[in-house]
Amino acid sequence: MAQNHDIPPALLGGFEPLSRRSLLRLTAVSGLALTTGCARMFGRRDAPEALTYVNMTEDEVRVVTRFTRAVLPTARHGLPDCIDEIPTIKNIDIMVGKMAPTQRELLALGLWVYEYRPMASFKFSRFSKLNDEKAHAYVVAMQEGAFFERGLTTTLKALVTLNYWRDSRTWQALDYWGPVTERWGVRRLGNAPLPMA
Amino acid sequence: MRPINMRREGVNVTQAKDVARDPSLGRQFSIQTDVVIVGSGAGGAVMAYELAKAGRKVLVLESGRYWPSAEFTENLGDTLTKVYRDQAAQANTTTDVLFLEGNCVGGSTVIGACVMQRPGDEVFQKWSDELGLKGLGPRELDKYFEQVEGWLHVHTNEAHEVNTTAHKVIQGCERMGFSWRPVQRNVKNCALTGHCLAGCPSDRKMSALVTHLPWAAAYGARIFSDTEVSRVLMRGGRATGVEAVIRDPDTGTVVSNVRVDAQVVVLAAGAIHTPLILQRSQAPDRGGNIGRNMAVQPFTQVLATFKEDLYGFQGALVGVEVDEFLKSDGFTFYSALAEPEQLMATGEQEAGDEHINFMKSFKRMAGLNAFAIDKGEGQVIWEGDHLNGRKVIKWSPSREDFERITRATSIAARIFFSAGAERVWLPTFQKMHADSVFDLDEKLARVDYGINGIYSYRMNSFTPHGTCRMGLDPYESVVSADGEVHGVSGLYVADASIFPTPVSSTPQWTVQVLSRYVADRILARAPSHFLS
Repeated sequence: MAQNHDIPPALLGGFEPLSRRSLLRLTAVSGLALTTGCARMFGRRDAPEALTYVNMTEDEVRVVTRFTRAVLPTARHGLPDCIDEIPTIKNIDIMVGKMAPTQRELLALGLWVYEYRPMASFKFSRFSKLNDEKAHAYVVAMQEGAFFERGLTTTLKALVTLNYWRDSRTWQALDYWGPVTERWGVRRLGNAPLPMA
Repeated sequence: MRPINMRREGVNVTQAKDVARDPSLGRQFSIQTDVVIVGSGAGGAVMAYELAKAGRKVLVLESGRYWPSAEFTENLGDTLTKVYRDQAAQANTTTDVLFLEGNCVGGSTVIGACVMQRPGDEVFQKWSDELGLKGLGPRELDKYFEQVEGWLHVHTNEAHEVNTTAHKVIQGCERMGFSWRPVQRNVKNCALTGHCLAGCPSDRKMSALVTHLPWAAAYGARIFSDTEVSRVLMRGGRATGVEAVIRDPDTGTVVSNVRVDAQVVVLAAGAIHTPLILQRSQAPDRGGNIGRNMAVQPFTQVLATFKEDLYGFQGALVGVEVDEFLKSDGFTFYSALAEPEQLMATGEQEAGDEHINFMKSFKRMAGLNAFAIDKGEGQVIWEGDHLNGRKVIKWSPSREDFERITRATSIAARIFFSAGAERVWLPTFQKMHADSVFDLDEKLARVDYGINGIYSYRMNSFTPHGTCRMGLDPYESVVSADGEVHGVSGLYVADASIFPTPVSSTPQWTVQVLSRYVADRILARAPSHFLS
C-alpha cells in the first residue's frame, strides 16, 4: 500500500503565502536566533563575563580556565560549577590585580610556559586547546616532572583551588561549617581592660 | 593627673580616607612628635604603650589597613587576600617558601595561632653569658615575661581547648612513647571557633588590636594606618624622623606624603621589613649585617586521613605540642587543622577527581605542624632606590635543614599511623602519600634535595627573625645591647629582627618582652634623647 506523503493543507497554512525572498529572510532570522540561542547554551554565555577580566590577558584567561576545568571536575561530583557558578576565574583576576609587579611577571611567565610546554608532548597543541582528559593528564605529568614544573603546577593549583574553595557554596560538600561566631551568638568582649598601674 | 579614656571597642586610627577628607593636610604635610614607631604588631604595640604611658608623645605608623575585629568574616580565603601581606604570597626568590605575616593594624598578632612559648633559660643564658648581653639573662627578663603572661591571659590549654585533631596526636604520642603537652595560648575565654588564622571577631584572642594598641591610645598615642615608611631621616649620626607615603588601600594611589620629625625613631616592622627600611635609609652597617642572619623556622604540615569523622577544624586551633624532639633534633610539633583554604598552602592536593576526593575527606583529617630551627642563613635585601625598588627574600633549605624536615615528616607520619590513620599526606611538591608505615620510608627516600632543596618540601615561615641582630660588636651585629642601631643615636629596633641567635620557640612572647626591655632602655636614656 502506497503511503500518503501529502502534508495536510492545514499545516502549511502559514507558509503558503511566503514568497521565495520572504522564505530566505525567515531562514536567515531563524538561523541567527538559533545560533544566538545555542551560543548562549554552549559557552558564549560566558563571553560578557570574560570581558570583565581586567587584570589578565585573554590568553592568560584561556590557560587558567583550562587549568581550572582540569583540576576541578566539579560536575562529576555534584559540586557547584567551578566557573559558571563559583567565580573562580574572577577571584583570580582580582588577586592578580593586587599582585606585586615581580609576582605578576612570574605568573605571566608561568602561564606562558604552561600554555606552550605541551607543544612537545601533545602533537603541537597548546594547553588551552587540550580536552579535559588530556589537560588533566598534562597537569598530572607536570606535577611529576622536573622541579620547576612541580613548583609551577603547585603554585597554579594553589591559586585556582584557593579561589574555588573559599566560596561558602562549596563548603556543604565538605561538611565544613564555615563561620560560626554569629551563628553561635558568641558575644564580643571588646578591648581588654587597661592594666592597673 | 591625666584623665585616661579608653574605648570599649576598637582603636582610634587615622586612615588614608581620613587624611584624604581633611583639607588642612593636603598632599604633603609634616607631624612633630617625641617618638615615631614604625609598625603596630607585637613589638610596636608594646613600645607604643610603654612610652605613651611614660608621658611621651607617640605616633605609630602602620603600613597595613585597619580592620576592626567586628569586620572579621571567619573566611580564611577572604582574610588571606585582604589582611595578609601580599595576599599571603610573600615568597622567597624561588617562590617555594611563603612568608606569611599580617599586614594590618596589630600586625601578625591579629592572624596568629595564639601560641605563646617562652624559650628555655639556656637560650637567654647564652645571650647573656656568651654574647655579653647582660640585660637579657633569664632572671633579668623574668619580670617582663610574667607581666606579658598576666596581661595577655597566657594560659595552658584546658581540657576543653584540646580538639579532636589534638586528641589524635595525643593518641599517637602515647603509643609511640613521645612527650607531649598542652600549648600555652593568649586567649581569654576562647570561643573554640577554630578561625584564629582569619582573625578573632569576638576579641578573645589577646592580639595587639585589643590590648596594647587601645591601651597606648588611651595614653594619647596616635595611630596612622595605610602609611608606608620609605626611609628614616638621619643627620649627624642622629635619627631625626621618617618619611612616609599614605596610600589608599583599595587603589594604591598616593593620598599624601608625610614627614615626621621625632626625637626617637623605633622600627618594629618585623624581621623582613625593618632591615629593608634600614637599607633604604642607608643606615651605617659596618659589618654588612643588616638583613642577614635570617632564621625562618621552616614550617611543614603533615596531614592524615582517618576512617572516622573528626571535624578537626573545630575547637581551639592549636591544642597540644610534641616537645620530645625539641632539644635532640631542634623541632617542635603543634596539632592544628584550620579552614579548607589552608590546605592549599601546605601540601600537594592532587588534581581532578583525586583532588575532589582529597577535599571531601577534610572532615576526617588531622594536621600536625613541624616547626624546625634553622641556622639563620637567610637574607632580605632592598634592590633599587628607596621609592621604586623591590624587596628580595633569600632563603632555601640547607642539606641539614632538608634532613631535619625529612625526619620531622617521618615522625609526624608515624604519630598519625600509630593513632590509626588510613593515609598520611606528605608535605612535598610531588604527589605523595603513604598508606601504611611500611611504605613511608620508601616514599620519603624519593624526595630529592635536588638543587638547594628548591621545590622539595612544601615549607612556609610564620616566624622569621634575627635580621638586625643584637650584639656588642658593631662588626658582628646591627643593634647594641640597648636595641639602638650601632652608629645612629635615637634609632631603635624592637621586633623579631633583634634576636641575637636563632630560636626554636614561637617568637611573639619573646618579641613583646624584648620590646618592653628596649622601651625601658629608651626611657632610662631619656635625658639624652628628649628635649622636654
